Amino acid sequence: MSNFTIPVGPLHVALEEPMYFRIDVHGETVNNVTINAGHVHRGIEYLITKRNVFQNVVLTERICSLCSNSHPQAYSMAIEQIAGIKVPPRAEYLRAIADEIKRVASHLFNVGVLAHLVGFESLFMHVMEVRERMQDVKESIFGNRMDIGANTIGGVRYDIDPERIGYLRAQLDALVPDVEEIIDLYHTDNSILRRTRGIGVLSHADALDCGVVGPVARAAGVNYDVRVKAPYAAYDRLEVPVHVLHDGDVWSRAMIRLMEARTAIDLIRQCLDALPDGPTVATAERPAIPPGEAIAKCEAPRGELIYYVRMTDSPKPERVKWRVPSFLNWDALGIMLKQAKVSDIAIIVNSIDPCISCTER
Amino acid sequence: MNFLRIFARNLLRGPSTVPFPFGPAWTPARMRGRVQFKLSSCTGCRACEQVCAPGAIRFDKTPEGLRFMMWHNTCVFCGMCEFYCPTDAIHQSDDWHMAHAVGEKYGMAIREVIPYTACTGCGMKTLASAPNPIGVVPPFTPEEVEQQRNQCPACRKKALAERGTPS
Ligand code: SF4
Ligand code: SF4
Repeated sequence: MSNFTIPVGPLHVALEEPMYFRIDVHGETVNNVTINAGHVHRGIEYLITKRNVFQNVVLTERICSLCSNSHPQAYSMAIEQIAGIKVPPRAEYLRAIADEIKRVASHLFNVGVLAHLVGFESLFMHVMEVRERMQDVKESIFGNRMDIGANTIGGVRYDIDPERIGYLRAQLDALVPDVEEIIDLYHTDNSILRRTRGIGVLSHADALDCGVVGPVARAAGVNYDVRVKAPYAAYDRLEVPVHVLHDGDVWSRAMIRLMEARTAIDLIRQCLDALPDGPTVATAERPAIPPGEAIAKCEAPRGELIYYVRMTDSPKPERVKWRVPSFLNWDALGIMLKQAKVSDIAIIVNSIDPCISCTER
Repeated sequence: MNFLRIFARNLLRGPSTVPFPFGPAWTPARMRGRVQFKLSSCTGCRACEQVCAPGAIRFDKTPEGLRFMMWHNTCVFCGMCEFYCPTDAIHQSDDWHMAHAVGEKYGMAIREVIPYTACTGCGMKTLASAPNPIGVVPPFTPEEVEQQRNQCPACRKKALAERGTPS
């Protein structure tokens, strides 16, 4: 058998994101991987210093479409810390609801794409159809399917009345059996199991070494979830179960996502049960932001997202820097892809749920 | 085998897509679509201009008054303008049918002027904008709004003070 170097990406039928891999193969086994970045760099760190604090709520939301609630959430938390703004309790619950709604949709999307990569198109379409229910929820409650615009400095920009709470509950009730059926299917279906069990393994030690976060870490036995370790929004008042598996393969990562989607539904219900009355935003007018710096973090669907913001006397931030989950998970790809079969590359890459648009920003 | 059951069920349920554009597409009431502007409610505070991230909203001074300009093709439908508008002057409707021929692109905008007027109190040239309702208790009556509209900022303040601010 001979050695080849093959390019995968940046535009590739099986890759959902524009990454470029240079892969040295021996026969059909991967020997070495070089990952190249830079295809979707949009200069957002520069743009953010050219816009004022309030415009940036919208700019940060557009960094990534699937984590589009987590970015403005972390950004708002950092600004609120600088300005010493106390978010009203109702807004904290509404933030958690928005976060979990996005999590369900994001996780189902990734698990659906896995079915597509396995070649199980009808399952892919079924999962996407189940996810569509969450898309309808977002459109009905927030007014947009992806960029839901829930957050602003000092609170949230949406509210739910009893009628919408009823609608949301009904949609969740209808979603539960579908999600449970999908979980069951991924547990037992041979087409899925054959292509995902024992593939792209990341050991516990390697997971710690690479510092991976989110479902990638939890699938490798690392019990780390920002919602529990450093609760924000209303999470300190909610019962948040953290799912951990130990095999660290593609299947475990998919299962973690499915279980978290199921848990997210319960979290939304907990929030609806305990939703306090009161204002949804600290001040109706735009608050003044003094100079200062702050760090805030939250658990995006892909893992821990950290924001650093520095304000001076200008209404525009002097510096905003963020550390996105995919940056760390991406590093682990080198380990997961070692000795993998060429045909598994796309499945393994998808299993970290890569988000290149926020990593390169 | 499990999936065959789901497959059969989905088959029986029929298509879940809609035949748009040959049939209607479902649109929720809260859908954040085309921006609408109500000149008579605008206070000219320019908050919308300051929170608009892509710069879709611009104000400029013309000989006739303060001109509000909003470009639909620049808008990202974020809803910040509506959220920070102190009145109901700016609103995102549920209309999302915004595809248009390239030739019509310069028409995809709102251009309205808040005109200058002479203050009914002191005669000074001033903008005939709606008064800012924030913090006004009890709220302005429609007559008061019209009265304030035709006054300069100083005379507005005076009228507010005479109105008294009940605690
Ligand atoms: S919706 Fe957003 S982008 Fe559109 S005009 Fe309003 S603030 Fe600007
Ligand atoms: S009143 Fe509303 S529409 Fe008028 S300038 Fe202020 S924010 Fe803009």
